[in-house]
Amino acid sequence: MSVIQQLSSRPGGTATIPVLEAIHLRKEFPVGQRLLGTPRVVHAVEDTSLALYPGRATALVGESGSGKTTVARMLARLYDPTSGTINFRGSPIKLTRSSAALHNYRRHVQLIFQDPFASLNPVHSVRYHLARPLRIFGHAKNQLEETQQILALLNRVSLTPADQFIQKYPHQLSGGQRQRIAIARALAVRPDVLLADEPVSMLDVSIRLDILNLLLRLKDEEQLALLYITHDIASARYFADDTLVMYAGQMVEGGPSEEVTQAPKHPYTRLLLSAAPDPDRIKAGGGGMREIGARGEIPSLITPPTGCRFHPRCPHAMEVCRQRFPKRTDLGGGHWTHCFLYGDGDGQTINQPAATPAH
Amino acid sequence: MVTSTSIGTQTLLEVKNLSVDYSAANGVVHAVDKVSFTLKRGEILGLAGESGCGKSTMAYAITRLLRPPAYITGGEVLYYPPEGRQRSPVISKLTQSGNATEGMADGAIDILQLTPAQLRLFRWNELSIVFQSAMNALNPVLNIGTQIMDVLKTHRPELGPDQRQRRAIELLNLVGIASDRLKSYPHELSGGMRQRAVIAIALALNPELIVMDEPTTALDVVVQREILELISSLCKDFSMALIFITHDLSLLLELADKVAIMYAGKMVEKATSKDLYLHPRHPYSHGLLNSFPNLHGPRRRMGGIPGSPPDLRAVPPGCSFHPRCPMAFGPCQSVQPVLKPASAADIGDNAQLVACHLYDPRFASAELPTQEQFAAGYASLIEGGKAR
Repeated sequence: MSVIQQLSSRPGGTATIPVLEAIHLRKEFPVGQRLLGTPRVVHAVEDTSLALYPGRATALVGESGSGKTTVARMLARLYDPTSGTINFRGSPIKLTRSSAALHNYRRHVQLIFQDPFASLNPVHSVRYHLARPLRIFGHAKNQLEETQQILALLNRVSLTPADQFIQKYPHQLSGGQRQRIAIARALAVRPDVLLADEPVSMLDVSIRLDILNLLLRLKDEEQLALLYITHDIASARYFADDTLVMYAGQMVEGGPSEEVTQAPKHPYTRLLLSAAPDPDRIKAGGGGMREIGARGEIPSLITPPTGCRFHPRCPHAMEVCRQRFPKRTDLGGGHWTHCFLYGDGDGQTINQPAATPAH
Repeated sequence: MVTSTSIGTQTLLEVKNLSVDYSAANGVVHAVDKVSFTLKRGEILGLAGESGCGKSTMAYAITRLLRPPAYITGGEVLYYPPEGRQRSPVISKLTQSGNATEGMADGAIDILQLTPAQLRLFRWNELSIVFQSAMNALNPVLNIGTQIMDVLKTHRPELGPDQRQRRAIELLNLVGIASDRLKSYPHELSGGMRQRAVIAIALALNPELIVMDEPTTALDVVVQREILELISSLCKDFSMALIFITHDLSLLLELADKVAIMYAGKMVEKATSKDLYLHPRHPYSHGLLNSFPNLHGPRRRMGGIPGSPPDLRAVPPGCSFHPRCPMAFGPCQSVQPVLKPASAADIGDNAQLVACHLYDPRFASAELPTQEQFAAGYASLIEGGKAR
């Protein structure tokens, strides 16, 4: 089974060039413009870099307001970054809004939305939804080709018998089936990169894995580069080769999923892991909920905390954390973090945290 | 008039053969089908299942909040007032006259028989409810202090304004909100704080039982955990019973004392959370548990449960799970299983109850199926069902 091979996790080092790369992306949204005074902005994403490789899934994990969806939307060219570059196949793309450039870009990069109940048009049939991208991107020249390709797409997302689904309308489909249509629609373009923004969080628990397994299979078959955005770190571990953790618009940790989830370094990653539901804890006995250390919520991003934005909640916060954001420290094996506890990009460890287990 | 016996001291709520139908234009939907269970004082019972399995409908039936086209078509919901409360004015009003207590031993009250006036007394004093989205449960044009004091004004008319305010502040502190937030409007509070405020309102009259319908689904994981810790400690401190509804079984296993799994309007398994986690007996429970990727241990392929829940207008005969079940055999298609102990060793309050023919000596051997057998069954079902 291809998924099992995938789960046996390849090592972090990759020789291939990334198909899509974000370098130092920043995004600010203006809010409440006033006539006088400086305009206020939401600092949604700060200095984010990530790379997507063919045939690899990368998870972007964070709470709501962490900027993970904004990153996906910048990569899908729905938002223009305030600064930073997006490289496609090694060369930077022009950040213009000309429709020809966007059309050409979206031939390669497609986005799957969170809510399959909202992302399909209720007045159009499955055929219409899948025929549009085929026509727009010139993959089907005539009606016959179109029908054949639609049937093939439906088969690829395991909607069978395909000839029955082709004439259905969204209201006749369950949530899982709708999400399959949304995936088929993205595949119709024959993209290299698939950005999936919480593709399963609106679905029933029993079919979530079905959809994730489908995406994994397609990733292997088509050598897609997948970005999987989620708030559920356990599913990131299941799904993705690499996991990146975002907090309040800053990337705090990243690396191979197994490393990040089993040996988390950044205090926020540790908090996220300790807060995630984990039935294994009841084996240890005790009963009731176990207390977690840090509390509180994501700060306002209009006036974010200075330095590392996690410092007001961080049990290990130091003076330097208030002053500036730490540089990236490589921890080996592709694992990195932005935290002064592990150095400041120079490999010099200031102070190892007390051995607080992640779970 | 009211004498308490052994059942009265332990059991708080006893649901017997509760059935709820929705009458739709194209047929009757049997949303809850003859569900029976008991809830002990101070116990946290988790209800889990896929959407449409009837878990919320059942909770609303217990609280008498169903509106047409939903109808309670049968059953009893017996509430046993705690000893200390039996002489309270509310309970004595409820037990005086009226058909709710007729023929009942132990001062039990049948919630389904309460008159509207009695129901008004009963709700919030004895049983309160926290709804799914805290964002919408609060009135946006009233500050939260007013909304808490509203409850007190209605149900405790003897309290003066000062006392009401004191109690409101006390409640806010209880749920971890600073008292200077009393005059805050809902939009000034974060999602987690709004959910805390809603919980404070539910606690206002010290009810014996709280029903919570997916109270944390809209919240972030860290905030969700804080709320769950709060709920867990409040239940312990006030020995309050709780019915907690969610689709997130992994969260429920940590929070609840007992977990009941529902499928197609029926309760298919009920066990302590530890038993359910370590050895789910119903194939459906096993599938549900294996729908959640784990944080620790080996990374392995998981498949969820192939197929989707049945249309409740035409539930399959026999065991309603049999079309999706990897272990289905002869009698599953024709004989309806009933909830009973999984093995002869399962006796007492914490017995693991399951509705499955695999545990019925009439159909299956006395040997319990192992978790490996379930896993293998699902694996072959997924392999064979690729064309689904």
